[in-house]
Amino acid sequence: MASFTDLRFLFHFFPAFLAVYYIAKKEYRNTALLLGSIVFYALGDPRFLPLLLAMVWMNYLMAKNCYSRRINRAGAGSRGFLAAAVLTDAGILAGFKIMGAFQESIVLPLGLSFYIFKMISFQIDVYRGKIESLPSFRDTAVYFMLFPQIVSGPIMRFQAGRFRFGRQRKYSWEAFEKGLQYLAVGLGTKVLLADRLALLWKDINMIGYESISTPLAWLGAAAFSMELYFDFWGYSLMASGICVMLGLPYIKNFDHPYASKSISEFWRRWHMTLGSFFRDYVYIPLGGSRGSELKTIRNLLSVWLLTGFWHGSSRNFIFWGLMLFVLIVAEKLWLGRVLEKHPLLARCWVLVLIPISWIFFAITDLNQLNLYLGRMFPFLGGDGIAVNPRDIVKYLGLYWRYLAAGVVWCIPASFRLFEKHRRNPVAVVLTVFIFWFSVYCIVSMGNNPFAYLKF
Amino acid sequence: MGIYMKWIRKCPVFFLLAVSGMVLAVTGAAGSGTVYKEMDQNPVMVPCLSRVMEGLGQGIMPWEVWESAAGKVFPNMGTEDEAAADVAAAGDNAVQVDPTAGMEAETEPGTEAMGQALPAASPDEGKELTEAEEEPARTYSFVTVTEDYFNDALFIGDSRTVGLFEYGGIEERADFLAKTSLTIYEVFLEPVPVIRDEETDRMLTIEEALGRRQYGKIYLMLGINELGRGTKETFMKEYRSVVERLRELQPGAVIFVEGIMRVAGTKNERDPIFNNTNINERNEAIAGLADGKSIFYIDINEAICDQDGNLVADYTTDEVHLKAKYYELWKQFLLEHGIE
Repeated sequence: MASFTDLRFLFHFFPAFLAVYYIAKKEYRNTALLLGSIVFYALGDPRFLPLLLAMVWMNYLMAKNCYSRRINRAGAGSRGFLAAAVLTDAGILAGFKIMGAFQESIVLPLGLSFYIFKMISFQIDVYRGKIESLPSFRDTAVYFMLFPQIVSGPIMRFQAGRFRFGRQRKYSWEAFEKGLQYLAVGLGTKVLLADRLALLWKDINMIGYESISTPLAWLGAAAFSMELYFDFWGYSLMASGICVMLGLPYIKNFDHPYASKSISEFWRRWHMTLGSFFRDYVYIPLGGSRGSELKTIRNLLSVWLLTGFWHGSSRNFIFWGLMLFVLIVAEKLWLGRVLEKHPLLARCWVLVLIPISWIFFAITDLNQLNLYLGRMFPFLGGDGIAVNPRDIVKYLGLYWRYLAAGVVWCIPASFRLFEKHRRNPVAVVLTVFIFWFSVYCIVSMGNNPFAYLKF
Repeated sequence: MGIYMKWIRKCPVFFLLAVSGMVLAVTGAAGSGTVYKEMDQNPVMVPCLSRVMEGLGQGIMPWEVWESAAGKVFPNMGTEDEAAADVAAAGDNAVQVDPTAGMEAETEPGTEAMGQALPAASPDEGKELTEAEEEPARTYSFVTVTEDYFNDALFIGDSRTVGLFEYGGIEERADFLAKTSLTIYEVFLEPVPVIRDEETDRMLTIEEALGRRQYGKIYLMLGINELGRGTKETFMKEYRSVVERLRELQPGAVIFVEGIMRVAGTKNERDPIFNNTNINERNEAIAGLADGKSIFYIDINEAICDQDGNLVADYTTDEVHLKAKYYELWKQFLLEHGIE
């Protein structure tokens, strides 16, 4: 049930939780949130609930020791607790990732990367004094386990959640409504766009990369780029919408990245909470861009290798991270100035290179990756086998609606228009329609194999 | 009253979703055992309102629940027959083909119509074969033929045959009446337009297309989509009547009934419906239609399966369809199994 697009979440767990949460007195709502999060996790991945609980307890203990040394002994020894906590957290994450790389049957515990990142950020912020006084165990546990964020983020900071001030949390029907609208629109973005575009990518896989025409290879790259974005952005919108419905702050995780004018900007606007995590806890502590040029490049390399490894442990993710590293360094050194002067060139730069980078991300088998790139750039010797040159006509015919809708939804103005006029009756009816139509699509794809499986 | 209106104005989306959600949930629960008999599932695992959605997908409107209930309580209201018919329709849905379903499928991705415009029928075509049929009984055996063999061939099938059309390299020679999700139940039903007439720019049904030209051979591969509906018997009844109708419309053609292509081993193990046990069972029945004179059974699984009888894993990425470059194996197999 650990997905917001699961009907049992939407129609059983979430309404029931909302009822309990709002019936509870204000001072018990964090407790309700904690219990709800435990139930949510238990329904999603019961095997690894003990691991999560142990991690929460261990991290709180470490933070408590770190904090008391910072306060009582002017910091003496606090560094040791920070190091122990961060190494344990990172070690467990890396251990699972490395095991997963060698043994396909090993499944990562649900949300592991996300809750570990929250824990690391909590430890460092306690050590740095950004979290001024030690919060209670309950409030810390709520932060780590918060059900809207545990599966795939956003990686919120502890301070942003204001859990300590649970009693002063502001509740209003207007905010509730706003959160619900984000939830509905996020659901639509994921189900009506991402899941549909995913079918095009599936079709391309069905054909086999060696047999797709070059235009179809590029269409596939574009479709995958949009699918990934709508899937993750839609999910983040749902997560943030749920938080807003609970009186928590809205956390922005995507800022219309495809409208960026450089790769560096793209990555400041894509999965923003992950980017700022790496910035604040890896890049800046290493010296950021304040040292020599060589040091900056070294720091960027560390960040991008880590980013690559975090996304997956097969080798293609390392290449993917390296590719982005090279592009971003080129922008930092000289290209950035050129791009600034030529906005049209800058947009093409982003819209061509980012889809190529996503191909490195999408295809984990290096031979297959090579085949696909060969079809994108046939002049580099990627001769196809049994290519049907008219395939592009067929797939454009089948998917143009979703592709066109996707392009429109990538434009920042579309979403802003919705945000600005979301209380307009037309937008209200549209939101309700999007919600129910998404549910209809989930049902007809999920529950009824005969409607979906057509050969 | 005013206070409620004020509240609704504050959160109209919540109000509308809550009210419609409750109506849908109650409808789903109320239709349990009647209109939604087919999709009753444990309401803890599957929320009641998903029945309503599933029903919609099958053409059952939510209000039929209440009409059906009203029909039971007030038999004189005149809705009884209607409601009973609705219930019956819902019950039969697994087998009965809703003619609108085919139309809807047209607009979905993954579904496409394709085929080539047929040249105008020439009166001489197929004549030779008709005469040949009148020769005294002789036995036929498969021979290797050249690609010219496909010049007067017609292929009828589902997405797998669509793949043969797109990647088999014989689309210039043969005609294809193939469409994703086509089933034996729909082949001769009216609204399955799969071929466009160049002159009138109108979509033709298979039956119309067959009336325009006599073919030398007809290849038929259907049956995977049907695994989830009906039984082997209902399937074969329909299959037999399709073959008979083909025979009637195309008296001169050799009819190749092709065994259903199997699925990959991983799917075979996992899938309760689309597995090779079910496919083999139906293939045996299809093979029984061969008469050795004008209807022949050929099984391309011989060319594309491993020793366990599963579709070779390397030949497919989705466990069901051949990758484009392996349609060549299918073509080669057909070339080795000509009848002359």
